[in-house]
Amino acid sequence: MASRIRKHTNGDSAASSQAEDPLAASTSSTSSNAISSLLASAASSVIREEVKVNNASATEMKHACDDALKRFLSRPELFKQIYTHTDIRLALGWTCVFIAAGTGLYGWKVEFEKSKPVVWAGLILYITLTVIQTLYAYFIEGDIVFVGKRKTFDKRIVTERITISSTSTPSTPTHPPAYSLSLSYVRSTSGGKSLLGKGRATSERGYNTFFDERGVLDQEAFERWVGGVVGGVMEGKAD
Amino acid sequence: MFAEEIRTFRRLGVRYVLLQILNFASVLASGLMMWKGLGLITNTESPIVVVLSGSMEPAFYRGDLLFLTNPPNQRYVNGDITVYKIPGADIPIVHRVLETHDVAVGGKKRGAVSAAPVARKQLLLTKGDNNNIDDLELYQGLEYLERKHIVGKVRGFLPYVGYVTIAMNDFPQLKYALLGGLGLLALFQRE
Repeated sequence: MASRIRKHTNGDSAASSQAEDPLAASTSSTSSNAISSLLASAASSVIREEVKVNNASATEMKHACDDALKRFLSRPELFKQIYTHTDIRLALGWTCVFIAAGTGLYGWKVEFEKSKPVVWAGLILYITLTVIQTLYAYFIEGDIVFVGKRKTFDKRIVTERITISSTSTPSTPTHPPAYSLSLSYVRSTSGGKSLLGKGRATSERGYNTFFDERGVLDQEAFERWVGGVVGGVMEGKAD
Repeated sequence: MFAEEIRTFRRLGVRYVLLQILNFASVLASGLMMWKGLGLITNTESPIVVVLSGSMEPAFYRGDLLFLTNPPNQRYVNGDITVYKIPGADIPIVHRVLETHDVAVGGKKRGAVSAAPVARKQLLLTKGDNNNIDDLELYQGLEYLERKHIVGKVRGFLPYVGYVTIAMNDFPQLKYALLGGLGLLALFQRE
């Protein structure tokens, strides 16, 4: 991972007037138009650190895009990130590590023949948890990079939930390596019991639209694109 | 040197740091579990050992890697190459079995030898191929080795590979450098 830390302020006056007043936007935030404009504005007055990666590596570029997406959508006025998948992965992984450490320590302290039953138990437990972790990551988590929630109040409490997965398509002779986003959006109320709207969207862009020849990510352009797609899916099924 | 990485960590948060450390820790954990699993399957506490001395030349030279198993119900016969550890000595020794004796399994008639010799009650005498005398002096008072002293029987070997372990034991800095390098690599790289 290579990201040069240099404070970098953009000065785009046209977009800044909308972004500087997020409070005004949020009072009428249930109106999808305001949300879309908020997202599309990609507040340029925000101070961002420069992100520079090796632009020959699609993996590094994908990670940089994923991180930029998480940073953008986790803004207080946008979504609150839900860390369930990360927490489950951390919990399973660290449990496996502690089981392995405990089994190793026990096997070291106790003589071989006597230690066999406990070491067998530890080994079986470790393998089971690792298999569960792999299955979870493959089937349930999949390509998801961001899960966010948002609560707004307009006559009733409206909960919005967005799930974003991203994939990276490698380059072929006809098109450059590309980053593809796929979103799934649900809007509900009264504690998730009544569904107000649902939406799905996919969008793909080549990495060359966001990374310049040095490998620096144009975060504003990226955020504008992401904001556009998210706003689109939120607006698609408005009240 | 690490200021940039530390700043990145602070920006990305606790969960990210935990995930990266988990990457490294889980590599170590899986290595350890594979070793323990191999030991359980082969029924020996140390399924892979390195030859340290030249007492088994020309069969095994210093630096060879040996693969051991210890089948619990199989008798050892003359000619088997065994690795054994005497309680009180810290390093295991790899030598060839010269003599085997069977002990009576204690029945109603004392002094009777059982018709089917039991593997678990064997007594063994060993000698290194390159030594002139047998191992009696190494047994620290015992006359014969018992099955419980045997770590395992050699099933196969790889020449020269063991020198890596010998180097890491003679120069512990190498071990820490390797581990440190692996750790840095795992911490600062993403899959």
